[in-house]
Amino acid sequence: MPDETPQPAQTATPEVVIEFKDVRKAFGPNVIYDPLNLTVRRGETLTVIGGSGKGKSVLLKMLIRLLQVDSGSITCFGEEVTTMPEPKLLGLRRRIAMLFQGAALFDSLTVAQNIKYPLVEHKWGNREQMDQRVEEVLEMVGMPGIQNLKPSELSGGMKKRVGLARAIAIQPDVILYDEPTTGLDPLNVRRINGLILRLQRRLNVTSVVVTHDMDSCFTITDRIAFLYERRMDWTGTKEEALATDFAPLREFVQGGRGTLESDGTEDG
Amino acid sequence: MSAAIKLLGHIGAVTRLSGRTFKIVFSRRFVDRSLLSAQMDQAGIGSWSIAVLTALFTGAVMAIQFADGLEPYGASLYTGKMVSLGIVRELGPTLTAVLVGGRVGAGFTAEIGSMNVTEQVDAISALGADPIEKLVAPRVLACIIMLPLLTLLADFVGCFGAMLVVMTDVGVTATFFIEQVLETLVVADLLHGLAKATFFGYFIAIVGCYVGLNTRGGTEGVGRSTTDTVVAISITVLVSNFLLTKLFLSF
Repeated sequence: MPDETPQPAQTATPEVVIEFKDVRKAFGPNVIYDPLNLTVRRGETLTVIGGSGKGKSVLLKMLIRLLQVDSGSITCFGEEVTTMPEPKLLGLRRRIAMLFQGAALFDSLTVAQNIKYPLVEHKWGNREQMDQRVEEVLEMVGMPGIQNLKPSELSGGMKKRVGLARAIAIQPDVILYDEPTTGLDPLNVRRINGLILRLQRRLNVTSVVVTHDMDSCFTITDRIAFLYERRMDWTGTKEEALATDFAPLREFVQGGRGTLESDGTEDG
Repeated sequence: MSAAIKLLGHIGAVTRLSGRTFKIVFSRRFVDRSLLSAQMDQAGIGSWSIAVLTALFTGAVMAIQFADGLEPYGASLYTGKMVSLGIVRELGPTLTAVLVGGRVGAGFTAEIGSMNVTEQVDAISALGADPIEKLVAPRVLACIIMLPLLTLLADFVGCFGAMLVVMTDVGVTATFFIEQVLETLVVADLLHGLAKATFFGYFIAIVGCYVGLNTRGGTEGVGRSTTDTVVAISITVLVSNFLLTKLFLSF
């Protein structure tokens, strides 16, 4: 792994590939989005920030319809996701990969079998081609030669990197990252950030990252969307986020970047 | 009232899950023989010892009780008739289902529940596969195939246990006991028991998978779900046994 963390690629183009329009979602009395409006442009890295437990991951799951919206519209590559028939949805999931918070590797399978899983499901080449692809993606995430290990033999950071290898194996157009650096030590955080940036440059994918790790956010992102009070009305560049007058965002950014403030208690 | 509504909600959801499962089982999509054989091994082969032990001792105890009860009437020679009918029609399928169901159903819930709380079930969908095809269909089919086979084994071993007791306590020969059993049992008795076992296999797998897929709340939730499954399977087997018995005897 390089010592220097690469800077984000400036590849944003005006073309919108993902659009959430008036999306409403609630779990019983717990309202998550009321409503959600958001666009993601081709080739950019959009980072969604906001407090824990506010529903940032729900956004990613609604996008690939692991969760259904209550109302509203989600379009991806110009197609409506919320009413998409199952076979088409399979095609969409071929183009959008997701790195889950805990990596979600299948415990009963080896690393190689985990990475081959989407390749087999989408009938991607023959056995030799799949083996070669497994080797390639493990090389990309800096973990060659671990094909035969089980997930239980990997550390948290290694699991995330294997999860990422599995996500990119099928050569997606969009990668969704759910808290990619949560629970990792600083070295692994830097590794993952570097990986996201390198993949962005090398594969030119569109990325949506959900995180509350502000250092990670400012390292990898092109644009930020702030989830506040069940809406995502504020979006802008990281420079705009740093200079914002919007108090809740300013507090979130400052708090997340280590500026200590008095909590009202006094020492001694 | 709210408990009744909740129960109806669960029954509706299990029915929908069953519909989707059987659609996969009877379609060409269900081709992963390795998943099916792994589940048949886990659910069936892994449960034969519990089925054999239960049947052996249940058959033996029934024989002791019947031999004792029939003795005042001088009919203890016919213990084999009573015991074999009871085992093949009722105790073989029901006891096997309750005991194997507890073991297998709880295993399904624990495994799928753990996968659910660690987002592995979501990952299956996100990677372009169907969790019902990968997790539920092989388990349901494996149980539907293996429960009747385990029941057949339990019927045989139960009658064998009874025979040992009758030979020892009443003093009849093995040939006499077997003649009595063959004279009493008809093919329909055996088929009733095996048909019930098929339904029990379906109930065990679908309940175990359904509770697993709806597990929330981390490892604590998995523990709670596993307990719920054992209770739900026991009740489902006992209640459905009553209904199926009424149904089969009406034909």
